[in-house]
Amino acid sequence: MIFSRGSFLLAGVAACSTAVAAASDSARPRGVGPESIQIPVSAVNDDYCDCPDGSDEPGTSACAYLSRNSALTAADRPGDSDLEEGEELTTALPGFYCKNKGHRPSYVPFQRINDGICDYDLCCDGSDEWARVGGTKCEDKCKEIGKEWRKKEEQRQKSMTTAMKKKKELLVDAGRQQMEVEDSIKRLEAELQGEEIKAKNLEADLEEIEKQERSKVVKGKKAGKVNVLAQVAKGRVEELRNALEEVRHERDEVRSRVMELEAILSTFKVEYNPNFNDEGVKRAVRGWEDYAVRGTADTLENKARDRDLEEIVKPDSDQTGVNWEQWENEEDSCEPDTIYKLAAYLPPSFVTFVEDKVSSLRRFLEDNGVLPGSDEGSTPESKAVTQAREAVNAAHSTVKELQKQLKDHKEDLETDYGPASVFRALKNVCITKDAGEYTYEHCFLDQTKQIPKKGGASVRMGSFVSISSVTIDVLNEAGEMVPEQRTSLEYTRGQTCWNGPARSTTVILECGEENQILKIAEDEKCVYSMVISSPAVCPGGEEDVPRGKDEL
Amino acid sequence: MAGTRPPSTRWTLLLSLVILLGCLIGHGVAVKHENFKKCSQSGFCNRNRAFADDVSAKGSSWSSPYELELSSIHFKDGQLQGTILKTISAEEKVRLPLTVSFLESGAARVVVDEEKRLKGEIELRHNSRARKERYNDIEKWVIVGDLELSKAATLSPEAADGYTKIMYGPENQFQAIIRHAPFGIEFQRDGETHVQLNNKGFLNLEHWRPKVDAPEGTEGAQGDDQSTWWEETFGGNTDSKPRGPESVAMDITFPGYNHVFGIPEHADSLSLRETRGGSGNHDEPYRMYNSDVFEYELNSPMTLYGSIPLMQAHRKGSTVGVFWLNAAETWVDIVKSGSSNPLALGIGGKTDTQSHWMSESGQIDLFVFLGPTPQDITKTYGELTGYTQLPQHFAIAYHQCRWNYVTDEDVKDVDRNFDKYQIPYDVIWLDIEYTDDRKYFTWDPMTFPNPIGMEEQLDESERKLVVIIDPHIKNQDKFTISQELKSKDLATKNKDGEIYDGWCWPGSSNWVDCFNPEAIKWWISLFKYDKFKGTLSNVFIWNDMNEPSVFNGPETTMPKDNLHHGNWEHRDIHNVHGITLVNATYDALLERKKGEVRRPFILTRSYYAGAQRISAMWTGDNQATWEHLAISIPMVLNNGISGYPFAGADVGGFFHNPSKDLLTRWYQAGIWYPFFRAHAHIDTRRREPYLIAEPYRSIITQSIRLRYQLLPAWYTAFHEASVNGTPIVRPQYFVHPADEAGFAIDDQLYLADTGLLTKPVVSEGVVTTDIYLADDEKYYDYFDYTVYQGAGKRHTVPAPIEKVPILMQGGHIIPRKDRPRRSSGLMKWDPYTLVIVLDKQGEAEGTLYVDDGETFDYERGAYIHRRFNFRESTLSSEDIGSKGPKTAAYLKTMADVRVEKLVIIDPPQEWQGKTAVTVIEEGAKAASTAAMEYHGQSHGKAGYAVVKNPNTGIGNTWRIEF
Repeated sequence: MIFSRGSFLLAGVAACSTAVAAASDSARPRGVGPESIQIPVSAVNDDYCDCPDGSDEPGTSACAYLSRNSALTAADRPGDSDLEEGEELTTALPGFYCKNKGHRPSYVPFQRINDGICDYDLCCDGSDEWARVGGTKCEDKCKEIGKEWRKKEEQRQKSMTTAMKKKKELLVDAGRQQMEVEDSIKRLEAELQGEEIKAKNLEADLEEIEKQERSKVVKGKKAGKVNVLAQVAKGRVEELRNALEEVRHERDEVRSRVMELEAILSTFKVEYNPNFNDEGVKRAVRGWEDYAVRGTADTLENKARDRDLEEIVKPDSDQTGVNWEQWENEEDSCEPDTIYKLAAYLPPSFVTFVEDKVSSLRRFLEDNGVLPGSDEGSTPESKAVTQAREAVNAAHSTVKELQKQLKDHKEDLETDYGPASVFRALKNVCITKDAGEYTYEHCFLDQTKQIPKKGGASVRMGSFVSISSVTIDVLNEAGEMVPEQRTSLEYTRGQTCWNGPARSTTVILECGEENQILKIAEDEKCVYSMVISSPAVCPGGEEDVPRGKDEL
Repeated sequence: MAGTRPPSTRWTLLLSLVILLGCLIGHGVAVKHENFKKCSQSGFCNRNRAFADDVSAKGSSWSSPYELELSSIHFKDGQLQGTILKTISAEEKVRLPLTVSFLESGAARVVVDEEKRLKGEIELRHNSRARKERYNDIEKWVIVGDLELSKAATLSPEAADGYTKIMYGPENQFQAIIRHAPFGIEFQRDGETHVQLNNKGFLNLEHWRPKVDAPEGTEGAQGDDQSTWWEETFGGNTDSKPRGPESVAMDITFPGYNHVFGIPEHADSLSLRETRGGSGNHDEPYRMYNSDVFEYELNSPMTLYGSIPLMQAHRKGSTVGVFWLNAAETWVDIVKSGSSNPLALGIGGKTDTQSHWMSESGQIDLFVFLGPTPQDITKTYGELTGYTQLPQHFAIAYHQCRWNYVTDEDVKDVDRNFDKYQIPYDVIWLDIEYTDDRKYFTWDPMTFPNPIGMEEQLDESERKLVVIIDPHIKNQDKFTISQELKSKDLATKNKDGEIYDGWCWPGSSNWVDCFNPEAIKWWISLFKYDKFKGTLSNVFIWNDMNEPSVFNGPETTMPKDNLHHGNWEHRDIHNVHGITLVNATYDALLERKKGEVRRPFILTRSYYAGAQRISAMWTGDNQATWEHLAISIPMVLNNGISGYPFAGADVGGFFHNPSKDLLTRWYQAGIWYPFFRAHAHIDTRRREPYLIAEPYRSIITQSIRLRYQLLPAWYTAFHEASVNGTPIVRPQYFVHPADEAGFAIDDQLYLADTGLLTKPVVSEGVVTTDIYLADDEKYYDYFDYTVYQGAGKRHTVPAPIEKVPILMQGGHIIPRKDRPRRSSGLMKWDPYTLVIVLDKQGEAEGTLYVDDGETFDYERGAYIHRRFNFRESTLSSEDIGSKGPKTAAYLKTMADVRVEKLVIIDPPQEWQGKTAVTVIEEGAKAASTAAMEYHGQSHGKAGYAVVKNPNTGIGNTWRIEF
């Protein structure tokens, strides 16, 4: 027998739960207090379960059924039939203790003891099969397995060291990037302040110019050929506008028909079941899917463009489009026109020169209130006012742009990039893995993607939403299932699945030297999980990294 | 008229609204009725039903035109031959050869054929190549024996005029009284009539006739509706019917019987309903035309994937049966005519059950079994069509399936997770996606690059893999197997004799024609390890879609005028098509490597009588609903009493996602299916038991472990089924054939002879269940030994979500193996626990069968078969096997396998204070003692005693004195 029975051999009687203390690690949790149950020492490891916590059989599978995974009958609770129903069952040991001399000791689940299989991954000394059932013989392989393990362990340690180094680099990088953002914010704030002042000044200018303009007396009056041209042009434009309107109307009608068709097809896709067996129907559904991936009619709808068109078709007035009235009242005899006529006979460069001169002269005259603005008919606004207004607008938009940038940067600063913002350094870093018919791509904090190897469009499996965490069950060294928190990255709102929801991916991270996709699984239809190793989640290192200026 | 207009419009509007509403509701109903025929859409069913109506309407003024020609009657060596004359007109009589055989087994067989077709004196239309005779080769696929004619059967001299009487059966207690005109037979047992043929005059054999093109507007002389004689169109497919009308039909009456069971497969109650309308009845006959029915509906006589035309009638003290051996589309109408006393309703009242069998083509070929017990029916029927194969041991453990495990790594991952959570399982399954582009016998190189590595990992814990292989072969020139199928001319043909092409999973496909012996040989060759690369000896096969399912075919199957080997029309063989494939696969798996002979394991969806010899079945594509869970129990029970007990339903439901409650309850029910497999549709969430949140995970694990704990009892039950055809899970009537109140109960079941009675919870939110007890024996709760007693009553048993309601009937000894392991293969060397449940007399009995669970060595004595007896305070183990050349060697390997524990339920009070028992083992030098602990009864719970380590060898003879 492989277990020392300690002093109990002398006593002749053992108590449940303490029996096991002699047989192995005394630090193990004890049973539910059945120390009061006395068993003869001969009952320890006799391949029959006497103790309600299994403590009498540390070396056999006899008590393997003592588990919340087994439905126990009254007679299955040895020596403890009075135990009330529903009371939590606690076993004395996590498993059979494998000494594994030459390697590391470990626990093997009791259900694997003497089942005819050498569980070398847990028990390299083969002691789990000591009864040699059915002639099973497990020789001691601890020497080689231990050696192999130590080699691997050494590599692992090395790899962990490298991983930590890499993590530090990531942290430094992340810190630097963060500082850059902070710097940018400061710079932007200063710039913004300047621009705001500038805008205010320009507003004041505009007000002044407008005041001057209102006092102006000279006005142009109606005359000449331009007016004729303007009328012809007006007619033509009117014609084109009508045509545009008609085309738009037709387009809308076609679009609504397409949408109707798409609605029919998408209902068809939902209501049709792929198991029912009509290849023609399935092909149609696949065709529709491919089509839908390229976007449907409603995605083609461009609101902005529509608004533009809306503007265009509005009748011309002084507010929108061409102000015909102005042109119809244009003075025909103005010198620029004479110069244009002349210009036809002159070399182009000269024309440009003359033009510039003339127009600047003219602007000068206009600006000083000598000439009326050539482009103003009944419109009271002068060029000067327009320019001043434009300047004000430009200044406002600069301010807005700066505000937006500032807001973005501030938001970015507030975004959770994980502990010490470590993921800042990985943002948009992409890694891929081949699995089955697809290559999977994960771009940190950006998106996940599925790229078919057989060709065809790639599919977005989700866009980044947040850094989160998941709990997974892991076996600890004692073979017990313990919950473990893992950092995860959530990606949602990917492309919608055939007969399913929009794709989403949970990326579960574990510590590793490289950023690497280890595993991809489709947990349910279009809900994916990726296990990814990354130095970013290796424990520690955050406290040693120099932080941003604000903390200095 | 005008005045009525406005209201009429309003009515019309209302009516349209109602119709519209109806359409909307109609969407919720899954099954596509328009895809499957109703009787009225199936020409011959319609004709025969109309014929029956006509006959019934005419009453006594009608006389069946069939007459047995007196001069033709000839009786010799247990067989009567003669000719039935069917009178068409004064001048024309059609000759129908009749053979009635009386078999040594006690069964009688009635065969009616048609002389003209038999002799080939007919002409087929459309220059058809089809065979002219009625299909007469079905025996080859279905019957394995015992057709030995009875030597004792004798012609009785006492027959009245116009009758012929034959005495046969055990001690000649059976009689067949043949009435000559109109032809009919009454079968009697002990002087009482139990089965009547053509008693109602529905016998109808549509004789051959040439097509006469009647001038426009004139009907046939008799007013026959000829519209479906020569051509039938359904769902855009036209059946050319080269032989014209050729159906066979007959009424079979069971006088005094109120319940008929059998004729699977239908999603319906065990006790079959009437089919001619009325409250609680069906409007349509039960149909048997193996079909891939999408999202089938419940409580329906609609056809499903398989069929076994065995019907048994049961009443207190008697069970009789008929087996209609015909593979063509078949419909069965059932009508019960009650007694005039309405208060008698069923129980006590005398009721006749009348069935009307209609098949589209073939012979009338009917077996009649006269019982008198349910066991007699299953035994005699089993002798005829074969008993359940004794499966490999893993096959009765837990199977984990999903459409699909997507990569070999995925499979390995699932495998590791089961171990991580310590949930036992034996088999993992691969649905169609493992193949390269749906080409069977290939692996997708991208997703399954290393199948061998995957199988090796499974083998490390003695686990198995099942892969799907369907009969449709992708029609693709560069696919070797497709090339071979076509070049060797082994595929099913269309009506013109060209290779038939239809659509299935791979798109354009051809079907291997296993009616062709050459095709079988070829099929066998495909499974050799060097041919089906990537398979090891732990790989087994799933034959799906073998109805056959043809996506673009009529009723999702092949055209009826397709031709099989020997030019039999598909119409003739349709229902047997599925098992011809399974048969070939079975032969293939027997010996995939020279010298390595193993019991095959095959799961089939389509089946017919005989399938039990070669395969397990499941109830096809069910749904994750409570109703589907509920119906699975009668469906599995019905298959069991119909000779095909290795049956199960997809645990969890195939379509849609089950709630955690439903999934848990389904596992608790599923452990009672002889075939226990979880399966899920590709669009569903993953639902492997370890993925389900606590406490459900533990509860499900407990259920699976409970199945594993009871595997010794299950394997013993399979053995019993393999030698005498007794169902593995048994309905109430089968166990208590005299208890009338239990005849219709089909929601609780007994596990074989173990006395274990369970009623799975099949509705939501339930915390108790009412179990019906037929007898006055004591029943004990399996877990806490609470006592229930009282015959003919329902007893309320607690059934919270964590509890499977199970009772143990007093009088049984249940063998168990209590140690959880990773797989059943790893339990091989584990010790046994015997649970001894004492009856009112303080006695109990049970059996145990053990063998290597893998090879056929048991046929040469390599097994242990014991009977345990507890009486007069002594438990004994007695050998009930017979020795063979391999017995000794096997016993030697099993020498260390022992009994570790005895649990005696409800022991006598005198045992109090007793602490030891005496163990006397044959071959031991001296008697030894083992410690015993006695626990008295408390709070309605029976007491029990536990004997520790009696240490007796499981294969040894021993006795233990208390």
